[in-house]
Amino acid sequence: MRISKRSTMLLGVATAMLLATSGCSNGLLAGDSSGSADTGTVKLAMVVPISGPSAPTGEYMQNAAQLAVDEINKAGGVLDGRQLELLVEDEACDAQQGVASANKAVSAGAVVSVGGYCSGATLPQLPIFAEANVPMIIPAANSQDLVKQGLKNVFLVNGTGNQQSTAALKYMLKSGVTSVALVDDNDSYAVDITAETKRLIEDDGAVTVALSTSVTPGESDYSAAVRDIMSANPELVYWTGYYQEGGLIINQLRNAGFEGKIMVADGSVDASISTIAGANAEGVLATMTQTPDTLEGGGDWIASYEDAFGSAPGPFSLQSYDAVRLAAHAIDEAGSTDGDAIIAALEAVDGFKMFSGPLTFTAEHTLSSGGFVILSVQDGAFALEDALS
Amino acid sequence: MSGSTFKSQAPRRTGPAAAWVSGLLENKYLGWIALAAALLAPLLTASPYSLNVMTTAAIFVMLAAGLNIVVGYCGLLDLGYIAFMAVGAYTAGIVSKAFELPLLFTIPAVLVMTILAGLIIGAPTLRLRSDYLAIVTLGFGEITRITANNLSVTGGPSGIYGIPKLLTFGDFSVHSPAVFYYVTILIVAFFVLASARLGKSRLGRAWRFVREDEDAAEAMGIHTYKVKLMAYIFGAVWGGFAGVLFASHLTAISPKSFIFLQSALVLMAVVLGGMGNMRGVVVGALVISLLPELLRDLSEYRYLAFGLLLVVAMVFRPKGLWPAHGHEEERKKKEPEQTAVDAAVSRGESR
Repeated sequence: MRISKRSTMLLGVATAMLLATSGCSNGLLAGDSSGSADTGTVKLAMVVPISGPSAPTGEYMQNAAQLAVDEINKAGGVLDGRQLELLVEDEACDAQQGVASANKAVSAGAVVSVGGYCSGATLPQLPIFAEANVPMIIPAANSQDLVKQGLKNVFLVNGTGNQQSTAALKYMLKSGVTSVALVDDNDSYAVDITAETKRLIEDDGAVTVALSTSVTPGESDYSAAVRDIMSANPELVYWTGYYQEGGLIINQLRNAGFEGKIMVADGSVDASISTIAGANAEGVLATMTQTPDTLEGGGDWIASYEDAFGSAPGPFSLQSYDAVRLAAHAIDEAGSTDGDAIIAALEAVDGFKMFSGPLTFTAEHTLSSGGFVILSVQDGAFALEDALS
Repeated sequence: MSGSTFKSQAPRRTGPAAAWVSGLLENKYLGWIALAAALLAPLLTASPYSLNVMTTAAIFVMLAAGLNIVVGYCGLLDLGYIAFMAVGAYTAGIVSKAFELPLLFTIPAVLVMTILAGLIIGAPTLRLRSDYLAIVTLGFGEITRITANNLSVTGGPSGIYGIPKLLTFGDFSVHSPAVFYYVTILIVAFFVLASARLGKSRLGRAWRFVREDEDAAEAMGIHTYKVKLMAYIFGAVWGGFAGVLFASHLTAISPKSFIFLQSALVLMAVVLGGMGNMRGVVVGALVISLLPELLRDLSEYRYLAFGLLLVVAMVFRPKGLWPAHGHEEERKKKEPEQTAVDAAVSRGESR
């Protein structure tokens, strides 16, 4: 093990660099106790994907939340003049990262969590926030597993898989479709919706499931799944995964001559689906909560978002914006930053005005009405097709 | 954290500083010093975040120690090592949830399952060599993850959540982050020490012989297949126990935690640290698991910086930060006045 002088020096420099970085992180850690619970800023934690394939959505969520924070601060903050502060941490859609970030947020003294996009990364965060008695207002992640544990600090402001499936079935019945193919990408979120839709369809009995299949995400060719769908010959294909694969599948289905309806779930509602599938995406239906584009009076909101960030809002921007507003409302109602008081205030919320409609939580801490509507792609963008009212 | 007693092979240092550094690096108490540092660290910073990061790092060290047995000692390139962690984590999770046991009591089941997994994966694949072995282990790693994704007993894509605590005595439970950190550190230290000791055992020497030249080892009477299988099984057990700690730490496991990237990161830790040198591997594992956290302030540039630093490290230290000795030290008698004749006599060469 002969170490030359030069490499010893290099090693020394590397160590010094490491120490320098760790020193700066210690500074952060040392700063943990700053800002006691009673004075200073009120901290909101937002654990969303900043890196990895879901990073674009994380940015939409982070920006929208920041917009809400800025607006509330400009209007005088919460609790008689205390300012809100948004702590954004990366989850990278990974359980380990999610746990580290949640712990970091708790260490930094967050009083409410307004993050949560990937269900898989959000699930392991629940016990950490629960232990610290930090209420979680989850804007995007909507797996049933999140509320199944019955933790009192967990609130979902996105519609659940069950509500989305109900909306999907409603539309199928309304449009007179009799056979459907359900396709998912084996992700917990997509499987949740497919399983729920299948159960509802079978309970109802008017529609038959011609095919229920899964694809592997991240591939570039889905002709095997397309062939299966073509031979099952359904009148409607319901894709519950994300838009990257969704766009490819739509493209290949149309190119193979499929003439039935294609419907996607909210994970695929993104302008990129038209970029991927081109003209083939025209007329594709989607089950989704209202987006700013489809909402009356959403134009002003979009304008202020574009003003602040120089780009248009995207999926889950609205929910994140509303989650922050809801958090601020609950803190004001509670009159303190105490976890139990905020949870009680959230449970007592009745008809809080949100983009998705007036909000009241069920006993399970999910939305009393999911607010799902049917959108369709028109001229390359999603527009309201059917409000299902 | 090994109590290893490597001595300098080529102690021709240029200056007293370098000699001092090398003396320090090869100090046999270094492992104990590292353990003491790990035990004292929470006194400096004990926020939930830092405890969480340190616990994750310790679990990663254990994984790297396990993979070091397979890749470092025995030279079997394994690209699907995380599968063993998955087996351990899932076994612990399923058994403890089904019988409502604290995780500690699932250890016999985990032991049996990981040994079985090592045998099932090892028995057919170890007949292959080098690249072929790497490809097949990659396949098995993915098969394990996809199986977990599709079985209902493993909870499908959402996995298992609400996993019980490691141990509960009435009101006292090993779940406060600080207590769990100490328990983890002690368990990991034990396994790292065991792994370092294994490397110097009779079996460890056989592993290194197989790594250097499999045919020569076979010719010298080593049952190479059996020896390689042993390396695989030891690696599997280490990975499995790391899985138990992982399940207890996160309280939720899902197939997404066991993707190929994780296998690659563990392998990266072993290669970066220095294949075969337990001390180096511990350092490598700490770098790989702590660096992304330390770079958190760079937000979206975090992994870019991480990758660049790794490339830089490998360019300047191609054999790893702290490579293993190329050869085993000769065993010498302690008496300095021993003559060549005495040595010959003691080797039984007298007529």
